[in-house]
Amino acid sequence: MENILGTNKDINNKDINTNSRKTGIKIVAFLCNWCSYAGADAAGTSRLRQPEDIRIIRVPCSGRINPLFVLKAFTQGADGVLVSGCHPNDCHYSEGNFYARRRLEILKEFLPVIGIDKRRFSYQWVSASEGQKWQKVVINFVKRIREIQG
Amino acid sequence: MQQENSVEKKLKERIRDVFDDFELVIGYSQSKIPLKVNPLFIQRKEEIDDLIFNNLCINNLATYSYFLSNELKGKIGIVLKPCDTRSITQLISEELLNKDRVKSIVVGCAGILDYKKIVKEIGGLKIISADIKDEHIRIDTIDENFTLKAKNFYADKCYTCNIYDNPPYYDEFIENDSKLNIEPRKEYEDLDEFEKLSLEEINSFWDLQFSNCIRCYACRNICPLEVCRDKCIAQLDVPHWQSQKINAVEGKFFQLIRAFHLAGRCTECGECERVCPANIQLLKLMKKINKDVLKLFNYRPGFNLDEKPPLLTFKNVEKNIKEEELI
Repeated sequence: MENILGTNKDINNKDINTNSRKTGIKIVAFLCNWCSYAGADAAGTSRLRQPEDIRIIRVPCSGRINPLFVLKAFTQGADGVLVSGCHPNDCHYSEGNFYARRRLEILKEFLPVIGIDKRRFSYQWVSASEGQKWQKVVINFVKRIREIQG
Repeated sequence: MQQENSVEKKLKERIRDVFDDFELVIGYSQSKIPLKVNPLFIQRKEEIDDLIFNNLCINNLATYSYFLSNELKGKIGIVLKPCDTRSITQLISEELLNKDRVKSIVVGCAGILDYKKIVKEIGGLKIISADIKDEHIRIDTIDENFTLKAKNFYADKCYTCNIYDNPPYYDEFIENDSKLNIEPRKEYEDLDEFEKLSLEEINSFWDLQFSNCIRCYACRNICPLEVCRDKCIAQLDVPHWQSQKINAVEGKFFQLIRAFHLAGRCTECGECERVCPANIQLLKLMKKINKDVLKLFNYRPGFNLDEKPPLLTFKNVEKNIKEEELI
């Protein structure tokens, strides 16, 4: 199947076909309402296949994401946390993601010092039209977490 | 009792001269416990005689500035060491303090002895009397007497200090004839060492450390920059960030809350570690963020009145941030 938003052609079935209940991986994703959530939605409507290990939480803006959200998720047993928002300069509230970028970078560097692998956390910029990018981000991130998990 | 030293004399004279401007002056006074000092709140002129300043004055009196300046109407004078002025500078730069109402009387510093290190060295025995003379500390306990070399027992922050005789900010500066004379260490040396450990080792280190945490909140209450207190999210019901259970997980999470409240603001005065009854090495977390802030945004908290803390501002293009691609 092919459409304007993307295609499933190059996607390896092995990266997607897992039963998250079996693998036991839990990934929390914080998505901004205006770009990434719509992007993930677009990926869904255009039927791009994605792994099911990801749980999406919608937030108004990536600037809404307190680094403690991420740390709380890790404390409560999440295996990975993904944060996604609008591209810099494209924020719905004009500057939310600029603040987010600074905070999340600090958070990322901070994680190893409390004993959490840096690779378990990532922040990405995905816009509303980038359904295909979202698909790739999710597949690669889930793959990485599975590797760490062993 | 120690003899009055020259800097103490100068300090008293200076405070007597300017005392009429102030409603309250905060300084140090002799404590009944050997090797410790008490904070002293001077409201009448004759109380100035109780003032002391020596190398035991480890308390950061900037802690009192925010709350007292809200409670009192007049001016407040605070006796500070050069490193403590960083806390005041940071509070002013965040517009939490009014520069005209809080005046810092800075005294040149010759290094501060760390009580916890000394007690650890003598094996936790009860100190009956102590005397400091010529770089040597003589301690009498019930059974034994000790003579320790002072240069091994300075507070950790002293070994990386380079502002002991040139504070970045002050209203009054009193020079100290004796200067800090110890071998300097590289900044964040211990942290670099810590970061080389594997994740498992780090995890077990923190589990052990935080299993002692009793959630007394002393670290938060002593911190000069944590001005949240009643609004602290650790004690809110809605949203319920933390349960009131006392265990390693909750203790660690409370420190994470603190670390991110202080992100890019902590002036590394070390008060949280000093007051911790469980001897948890809290400052590592704050130092780590400070180290990254310095690397990414070239910012040191507490040195510049006009600069905004890096997490309260942004740039369109961040030179030092390399975003990772997942495609």
